[in-house]
Amino acid sequence: MSASLTHESGASVEIHGENHHGDHGHGKHGIMHYLWNTDHKMIALQFLWSATLFLVLGGAMAIAMRWQLAFPGHPVPIIGHLLPHGIVNDDGAIIPSGYNVLVTMHGTILVFFVAMPLLIGVFGNFLIPLKIGAGDMAFPALNELSYWLFALSGVVMMASFWVPGGAPGTGWTAYAPLSSFAPYNQTPMGQTFWCTALFLNGLSSITGAVNYITTVITMRAPGMTMFRMPLPVWAIFLTAILLILAIPVLSAAAALIIFDLNFGTTFFKPSGYGQPLLWQHLFWFFGHPEVYILILPAMGLTSEILSVFSRKPVFGYKAMVWAMISIGFLGFIVWGHHMYVSGMNLTLSAAFSVSTMVIAVPSAIKTFNWMGTIWRGSIHYTVPMAFAVSFVSMFVIGGLSGIFMASTPVDLFVHHTYFIVAHFHYVLFGGSMFAIFAAVYFWFPKMSGRMFNNTLGWIHFWMTLVFFNLTFFPMHNLGLGGMMRRIADPTVYDCLRQLQPLNVVCTIGAMGLGLGTIPFIVNIVWSMFNGPKAPANPWNSTTLEWTVSHPIPHGNFSVIPTVYHGPYEYSVPGLEKDYLPQNEKAPAHITLEAH
Amino acid sequence: MTSVFNKKNSFYRFLTKGLGLFLFLLAMSGTLMAEERAGNIYGLPPCVTTTGLQIDFIIKIIFWLTAVVFVLVQGTYTYYLIAYRRRPGVPAHYSHGNNTLEIIWTTLPTIIFLALAIYSNRVWEEIHRPAPENALTIDVSSYQFGWEMRYPGVSGKLAPMDVKKISPTNRWGTDAEDPRTAQDVISTELVIPVGRPVHVLLHARDVIHSFYVPEFRLYQDCVPGRTIGWVWFQAIRTGDFQLACNQLCGTGHYNMKAPIRVVSEEAFQEWLVPRQQKNAGILPTAPSTPLATPSPAKAASLTAKSPDNTL
Amino acid sequence: MNNAAYNNASIFHAPTAPEAIEHDHHAAPPTPPATCKLGMCIFLCSEALLFSGLITAYLVLRQAAGSWPPNFGDGIELPPMPKLLTGINTVILVSSSFVYHFAEVAVKKGKSGAGWMLLSALMGATFVGIQCIEWTELYHEGLWFNKGGVYGSTFFTLTGFHGAHVCIGVLLILWCFFLQVTKGTFTAKRHVALENVGLYWHFVDVVWVLLFTILYLI
Ligand code: HEA
Ligand code: HEA
Ligand code: CUA
Ligand SMILES: [Cu+2]
Repeated sequence: MSASLTHESGASVEIHGENHHGDHGHGKHGIMHYLWNTDHKMIALQFLWSATLFLVLGGAMAIAMRWQLAFPGHPVPIIGHLLPHGIVNDDGAIIPSGYNVLVTMHGTILVFFVAMPLLIGVFGNFLIPLKIGAGDMAFPALNELSYWLFALSGVVMMASFWVPGGAPGTGWTAYAPLSSFAPYNQTPMGQTFWCTALFLNGLSSITGAVNYITTVITMRAPGMTMFRMPLPVWAIFLTAILLILAIPVLSAAAALIIFDLNFGTTFFKPSGYGQPLLWQHLFWFFGHPEVYILILPAMGLTSEILSVFSRKPVFGYKAMVWAMISIGFLGFIVWGHHMYVSGMNLTLSAAFSVSTMVIAVPSAIKTFNWMGTIWRGSIHYTVPMAFAVSFVSMFVIGGLSGIFMASTPVDLFVHHTYFIVAHFHYVLFGGSMFAIFAAVYFWFPKMSGRMFNNTLGWIHFWMTLVFFNLTFFPMHNLGLGGMMRRIADPTVYDCLRQLQPLNVVCTIGAMGLGLGTIPFIVNIVWSMFNGPKAPANPWNSTTLEWTVSHPIPHGNFSVIPTVYHGPYEYSVPGLEKDYLPQNEKAPAHITLEAH
Repeated sequence: MTSVFNKKNSFYRFLTKGLGLFLFLLAMSGTLMAEERAGNIYGLPPCVTTTGLQIDFIIKIIFWLTAVVFVLVQGTYTYYLIAYRRRPGVPAHYSHGNNTLEIIWTTLPTIIFLALAIYSNRVWEEIHRPAPENALTIDVSSYQFGWEMRYPGVSGKLAPMDVKKISPTNRWGTDAEDPRTAQDVISTELVIPVGRPVHVLLHARDVIHSFYVPEFRLYQDCVPGRTIGWVWFQAIRTGDFQLACNQLCGTGHYNMKAPIRVVSEEAFQEWLVPRQQKNAGILPTAPSTPLATPSPAKAASLTAKSPDNTL
Repeated sequence: MNNAAYNNASIFHAPTAPEAIEHDHHAAPPTPPATCKLGMCIFLCSEALLFSGLITAYLVLRQAAGSWPPNFGDGIELPPMPKLLTGINTVILVSSSFVYHFAEVAVKKGKSGAGWMLLSALMGATFVGIQCIEWTELYHEGLWFNKGGVYGSTFFTLTGFHGAHVCIGVLLILWCFFLQVTKGTFTAKRHVALENVGLYWHFVDVVWVLLFTILYLI
């Protein structure tokens, strides 16, 4: 695929400067070419394929979990025999400790190895230089290093399945002292690997973020002021700042767990005057910004797609930017809402409840502006648009359930139940993943030079939308019915047995969702090589990446473009075509509305 | 312009399927309603405590608030999606936004959210005000993977404990010299009188566990090395429930439960007094319900060795 | 691949010798010094947050322990922190920052500055050495990662994290030194790698002053 991306032989384009040749790297199509390539577009693809692999792995784990929850103790069909021993018994049925491992690894993989690399690794890398009119990232080699740190962290994470004791089963939140004291968790090696993997993954995120921030600050094309930047760039830029500030705290905390486990320190062990709650504070200080790290890029990507297919400027561009800035800022002062009933000071809980309510405001602003964007538009229904539209709808459902939990007394009841599971899958899958799907389809022509298959795309969309809701909506009811998270067998509780039919519904949904993902994977893999050739600007978009045609040479632009106006000038009255690219001046008789 | 915007992806396909989905979801929510259980709204288990009633009330408020927002937002949204579908000759309206609107839809949610936060926290305040004088104090201790309760002995007072002294040999961290230590009544089920405030002291002997009873609308973590002392509640009716550990605590977490019996005051005295007297040496015969408690280590190994016995 | 090797150094921006640039006609224009420095500053922000996490952990544990060193009630006396030796050590480390600065000043004036570089690396190494002696002593007095509860845990973890940073710093300075001695890489015009290593080195010093204050003095 790399060949089709950058170096279609014979199609090389001369680009500026003597030092530059579009055919850079030709004659070096050896293995090294794939392993070490500093082209940001190529790195984006590396992230894309790795994360897709992890999506299948983490998704398969979810399906195995769902099977166990619906039919506890029954051997898991197909997947059961693929899972390592220690997770399943001889029949292929999941054992309780194995279930804990699956929950842990599912959560960790989907957050750190699917959603983050897809949003930040793929679209951050691919879009930032192209959208701001830069030839590459500020530090291309650091960029590739970031990918390899990520790959290494993935290997370490998966390796934990095969170390003595097996992978950790302490949840993606790894609460101490369960995670930090070997006799309690019985998987000290696996837990150490898990922490190490997160440490490396964090390093990867930080190197990436250093690059993004520097690139956005220093490498914008002439005329590309901050407030002319497309919203995905803004979103990823702010996300990178969150990464710089949040990830190191997780790294420090993970190191403390490693020390407690292996060197006998007592950070989280009461007998040595350690504090179990210290871990939670450190983890959630990272963890809450983390969930906004997962939604901000998704919001940015969606905003743009909605605008393009409504053929309308983004409604309230500046409000959108300020809303994202305030989400980023407020995100650092709400972590306590995960700890209302953890034993933390109860007055502090009340304070965190207020800040949590406040942080919902910028999300509300964004929601209304998305509605404003499609209002009186001319909406084209394409696969990416369908996903973008559904993103808004699903995000609102997830956000509204967040309001329940933000209220301290309600959280006293729903904390750690499936209500929470429903909430975060609505924001993480209905939010982040829907936006990722939308964006993959939307930028596919630019990434691969080819069109995806529409039929497969629509099948993917409808199956995802229907089965997603079927899987996760009933979880609200399970949670309100009192079903706890992270239990391997709900039927051991009298009050949950009557809810079992709902669990079956969720599981059927999950299987459909898994099946629905297959057309997506088939589509991108197949179309990457065999799809019909795509025009340079198939969606008639205004931003700079659509001004270069495939294959985009190393260095991106033969002439660095000059930017004349904001990013979303669609349907400007008086213009012949309904879009005005950022690098085209508006004719003299037309005044663009200020945004 | 390419063939991307062709008829195949037309709005009508979108609409018919969207409508199908909508009806399907409606039907589904119908089934969910059918799942509703005795005594309460939209699938909540029956509420058994006074504070639970307050919590249910807030849930109801937020439910209606979010329901209204949901219908308005999704309704308007769907309307836009239909009304502003692409039609030949109808160009999109050119607009970059509207500051008045921005101000309105920033202030309105802010007011709603702040009001909600203030109201919530007022109830929160009430829920965690100090336990009343007449409350029955029970020490609840959690370990991998089970529960133990400690009731006051004949003296009416629990033997004082120190979390720092909790160890495999001193499971409650009490002072062996103190006469009350021997008098304390230890039980594996939580028996509580209806109508009397019950104050529970939460302890954990190894990792974090949690005290979760959905019918009580109550969740609180038990943190090793600390006493969580704010939790009290008052049951409003009798019944049998289950205490669940709702904090991932290891292999046996899923099955870490204990029976709860809310009984009348008389039945409670009938249960407690013989045990107190036995421990005080007044009553030589053993009470009818066995009190034997497996040691934590044994319980853990049992669960760990036969993990799928209940599966 | 030449390109990769070239860019590899670009965060510290070891300027490639002019011939090399001509030779590698694929190379992108070198990342401007200001950009490199910005990248370094952003990276240091994340480092600052790493230490904030650790320092916060320390302060929280110390606050919760009541007395410091904590009283475990087991009659074992925990050793106090050696203020004097570490005080001297602090002076050495802080001075090395100034020495490093002299190296930069020298390079900016067109001189080699290699001597100053070597000196500051040596001072950094001395700091690590004294720190090692101190660790050994405390170990013999009964304090270690796994001894003395949070008192030992926090002390060795925080100083350990910092010590690792100093070691990396020493290696980086030595790297600059060898580049300068063997190739004369840093000139009055181009010396951004030197400046970036300097930023890092000053940062490590500032962190130490903080750690010294909270771990030893208060
Ligand atoms: C993408 C990720 C993401 C996002 C965006 C959010 C957004 C929000 N989250 Fe969520 N959350 C998670 C991911 C996310 N969350 C995860 C993963 C967990 C669980 C972690 C774990 O324990 O494993 C969690 C857990 C979690 C908890 C802890 C629950 C518990 O463990 O007991 C709480 C509590 O307050 C909470 C609240 C909120 C709120 C108030 C928002 C708000 O930002 C939502 C704001 C949006 C809206 C409100 C909708 C749109 C607005 C309108 C339409 C305007 C009008 C609305 C009204 C007037 C009501 N979340
Ligand atoms: C972005 C994040 C993300 C995503 C996308 C998902 C996706 C899914 N999640 Fe997950 N989930 C989390 C993040 C996420 N989850 C987190 C953070 C937790 C908390 C963990 C914890 O408590 O510690 C969690 C917990 C969690 C639970 C709670 C477990 C428990 O508490 O006991 C459940 C239960 O149903 C669940 C289910 C699912 C399902 C069915 C999907 C489905 O969407 C998955 C659909 C399947 C696929 C997308 C894979 C498709 C492909 C195949 C199956 C194979 C095809 C093969 C070939 C092509 C060769 N998740
Ligand atoms: Cu104890 Cu879960
Ligand atoms: Cu949160």
